[in-house]
Amino acid sequence: MKVFNKKGFAALAAAALLAAACGGSTTEGKTLTIGISLPLSGSSLASAGPARDGALLAIKETTIEGYTLATKILDHAVDGVHNPAQAATDVTTLVGDETVVAVVGPFNSSSAKAQIPVSSEAGLAQCSPSNTNPDLTKGDAGAALRGGRPVNYVRVAATDDLQGPAVAVYAKSRGKSNVFIVDSTDTYGKGIADSFAAEFTAGGGTVLGREGAPAGTTDFTAIVTAAKALSPDAFFYGGVTADGAGLFRKAIEQAGLGDVEFYGGDGIQDGSGEGSYIAIAGAAAAKSFSSVAAIENIPDKAGFAAKYEAEYGEAPGAYSASGYACAQVILEAIKTAVAAGEVTRESVRAALTDTATVYSTVLGDVSFDENGDTSQKIISLYEVVDGNWTFVEQIDYANK
Amino acid sequence: MSTLTARFAPLRARSNAYFAQHRSLGVLVAVITIGVALPLISRIPPFGDLQSMNAWVNAFTIAGIYALLAVGLNVVIGFAGLLDLGYAAFFALGGYTYAIVASPFFDIHLPFWPMLIVGALIGAMFGIFLGAPTLRLRGDYLAIVTLGFGEIVPIVLLNADPFTGGTNGLGGVDKPVIPGILEFTLINPWPFYVLMMVMIALVMTVVFRLQDSRIGRAWDAVREDELAAESSGVNTVISKLQAFAVGAAIAGFVGVFNAAKLTIVAPDQFKFVVSISAVAAVVLGGMGNPVGVAVGAFVIYLVQSIFLKQLNTLVDNFNIPVLQEIDFLEFQYVLYGIVLVLMMLKRPQGIFPAKRRIRIFKDTVGGAK
Amino acid sequence: MATATGTVRTERVRGQFFLPAVITGFLALMLGLLGFEQFLNAMTLGAIYALIALGYTMVYGIIELINFAHGDVFMVATFVSIAVSTTLLGQTGAVLDIPTLIISLIVLFTVTIVVMALVGALIERLAYRPLRNAPKLAPLITAIGVSFILQNIIQFFVGPYITNVPQLFSTQWAFTIGESRVPLLNLFVIGSALFLMVVLQLFISRTKTGRAMRTTAMDRDASSLMGVDINRTIMITFLIGSGLAGAAGVIHGLYYGNTTFTLGFQSGLKAFTAAVLGGIGNTAGAALGGFLIAFVEVGAAAFGFGRWGGAIVFSLLVVFLIFRPTGLLGSSTGDRA
Repeated sequence: MKVFNKKGFAALAAAALLAAACGGSTTEGKTLTIGISLPLSGSSLASAGPARDGALLAIKETTIEGYTLATKILDHAVDGVHNPAQAATDVTTLVGDETVVAVVGPFNSSSAKAQIPVSSEAGLAQCSPSNTNPDLTKGDAGAALRGGRPVNYVRVAATDDLQGPAVAVYAKSRGKSNVFIVDSTDTYGKGIADSFAAEFTAGGGTVLGREGAPAGTTDFTAIVTAAKALSPDAFFYGGVTADGAGLFRKAIEQAGLGDVEFYGGDGIQDGSGEGSYIAIAGAAAAKSFSSVAAIENIPDKAGFAAKYEAEYGEAPGAYSASGYACAQVILEAIKTAVAAGEVTRESVRAALTDTATVYSTVLGDVSFDENGDTSQKIISLYEVVDGNWTFVEQIDYANK
Repeated sequence: MSTLTARFAPLRARSNAYFAQHRSLGVLVAVITIGVALPLISRIPPFGDLQSMNAWVNAFTIAGIYALLAVGLNVVIGFAGLLDLGYAAFFALGGYTYAIVASPFFDIHLPFWPMLIVGALIGAMFGIFLGAPTLRLRGDYLAIVTLGFGEIVPIVLLNADPFTGGTNGLGGVDKPVIPGILEFTLINPWPFYVLMMVMIALVMTVVFRLQDSRIGRAWDAVREDELAAESSGVNTVISKLQAFAVGAAIAGFVGVFNAAKLTIVAPDQFKFVVSISAVAAVVLGGMGNPVGVAVGAFVIYLVQSIFLKQLNTLVDNFNIPVLQEIDFLEFQYVLYGIVLVLMMLKRPQGIFPAKRRIRIFKDTVGGAK
Repeated sequence: MATATGTVRTERVRGQFFLPAVITGFLALMLGLLGFEQFLNAMTLGAIYALIALGYTMVYGIIELINFAHGDVFMVATFVSIAVSTTLLGQTGAVLDIPTLIISLIVLFTVTIVVMALVGALIERLAYRPLRNAPKLAPLITAIGVSFILQNIIQFFVGPYITNVPQLFSTQWAFTIGESRVPLLNLFVIGSALFLMVVLQLFISRTKTGRAMRTTAMDRDASSLMGVDINRTIMITFLIGSGLAGAAGVIHGLYYGNTTFTLGFQSGLKAFTAAVLGGIGNTAGAALGGFLIAFVEVGAAAFGFGRWGGAIVFSLLVVFLIFRPTGLLGSSTGDRA
């Protein structure tokens, strides 16, 4: 308690008055800050960290004449898990910082639900590398979320209303007709499982059973035993690896059903590094299939991987290129705003969401529609071969 | 600090004596002073460097939410001596009460102000609903029942999709409006801040008045010795139920504010962590002392959500190359844990322990008058 | 723990016949309801919950502390077991040679249990003993603090990922009874857990230290006057409780083959609930509570209500405590308020 002696206290009080007196006049307008709002601790770090690094790399490579580019990174993981309330707080923090002109993030759809009302009210441009829930942008739900205001949020990932069906179509093309579905009960997991189920049954398939296993579930044995009695010819898991995808697959194998094929969305396609689906499921990962709501064959795959590795000493993660692309489109929008004269939040937002602009990104040419969704509606499908996700095919929904 | 305390001792004694007689006025003066001082403090270098004044004001508002939660929980734990490990449930119920009738989900848009009261009533109702059958349980059995309740509520909210929006929660919750005068926005943190200060003043006044009332004395009695209280004619069940209801009402009340402030309620926001953080704030702040627990919660929130999250920025300011290499975000919870343990070891009574002796003395003086 | 010896003679006689009959009846009912495979799943899960619950209940019985860090001690044990398997034993997968397997398992259990017992005792010494005479809730907060510290030490050194644990005992060994597949691993898990529980009961009821633990739980001051070294007794309680969590950690690793730094929270919460359901302070009750919760959870998942599993467990707890306020085997005189 003896931190402040009397003199220190007086100095502090004087400083407070002084600071209050000259507050507000110190902003020079030369610094442009790009906020990065992602879950960056605990189990979220494994997937969101690479997205942050991708974005930082793009920002580092860019200079804008007459301005200093800065970044402000806020971690909204609480107890190691992304937390929508903290995400909302963080975006308010960014809104409160006058130098912030755009934000990369968030990572999870539930966080986006908390952030978009705030950022749209502030007219602060946002680009998510990985949100896939359709309700964030489309239709009445999207309009309600941004309170009927102009679009300020764009994303470079395709949505789950394409991803889930793409996996369903693929599973059926492999002759599957009886599936057992488990989801992680959160925004992403339940959403993608719903869209998978709808498409799967639409074409004559049967959903034998549907079960929910919240993140943190470690015991899947009872679910697997219950499923086993129904003799499914495929399993679908809606959720991310950290929710328990690998554990589920392992339990399936342990129950002697290792030959039954396993399908999932981009939540389980997280490479083969530490903590990935493949690493957790081990040998059981064979006969697993997944999708990614993005293009697999990015134009300069080797080049991007090389410079990413040179910077960070490790291979890009699943969302590194998406993070990089998000920063790219934001930087491009800032440049447009600079060229037009004044860099304000509004000018950056307007430039970013201009549906006519075609951005040349690491993912390829991308533009955003009237809802802020990417024109690149490519779903890539993968299969585990020899302990690695191997690209199978990609379905382009752009013209469908 | 000690010389300073000594210097101002006579002044403090006089002001203490005055405000002891006029507690509501004291609360008002204190809240106004703090309300004005906080934004100024946010301009001082170590604080000002972290984020802008608006961001600080916003952070203070949210810290105020946790402070009020702690004050409410303190009624249950500190006053009545009942351990409640599921306090977040009442917070959630208040929030959902407002969100259901003020969001695009059902397209109902009831005004904010009366809903503050409704939220409090709903909270109290559930407090009684949970408390009535369980309050005869002793000590930690009650704690585990409340813990169970705290676990059940988010699961029910998660699975009752048609009413609660399931995992997505209810978004686009209406912000408060003072018709014709002021519309609250998310951009301008000041209206919310001022409202929070008003709420703090209100809750503090109620809590202090309750503490001094017959009900409050019954709580003291029940807490110190239930058997003795009962044999002295205190209806312990009613007394405990009152504490439960008051605590839950405060949580519901703050829950409404929280929903309007965040514009979203979702099951994830009300997990066990929230309950346990509130308990930590109460114990750390000093059980039984409403001001202490409020400050405890305030500090815990700021440490957890601002300082730890921005440790990197903070350390970068010192320009020590070795430290800049370290990602402090990775250590945030270790530091938080160490802080909790050390604080408790240093001050097991809490930072601002309740001054029961002074209170008792004051009561006799009041009685003699 | 107080009732283990029983104070009222009639209750003791009733308990001798009544309890086993109820348990047998319950198990038969569950077997019929769930089928053999789900029954085995529940028994296995229950064995793990029970081992963790024992640590909660023993510590609560003796110092009335809800040791929130106990779940994390269990979590740390899973990581210690990885280190023992890979580094000390050099095994990364199933050991098919039977003698090697037996030796490996003995080493794995022994080393992990000893390490965790020491960790538990260390935590007690540093975070709880200084607060022995502090307000009741103070150690609760340090327990939460310790929980944070343990989680993050693991997160820092191992990473925030789900990590694989070598499954030394092959998951593929199984035989079939009728339609049902019976993995040997499940039987091994249930067997070793029951063995440890029996050893614990014998220790508590037959040894001098066990008696000291029981008397300290009943009345600390009186035991102190009778020459019981209170600090030593409490320390031993922590050693045993954490050791059992260590065993649970090994078993969890062998059975599920993975772990993560957040594992302790959920498991700890469930195990704590089990301890309360069983009548906190009562070791036999904690074990029963662990199995009961496992049956409820597995039952929920078996009938397609997995989403509601947690809500059902806790609703059961609330309702149960309303009608039997001291838990399954809690003593009606155990007034700890």
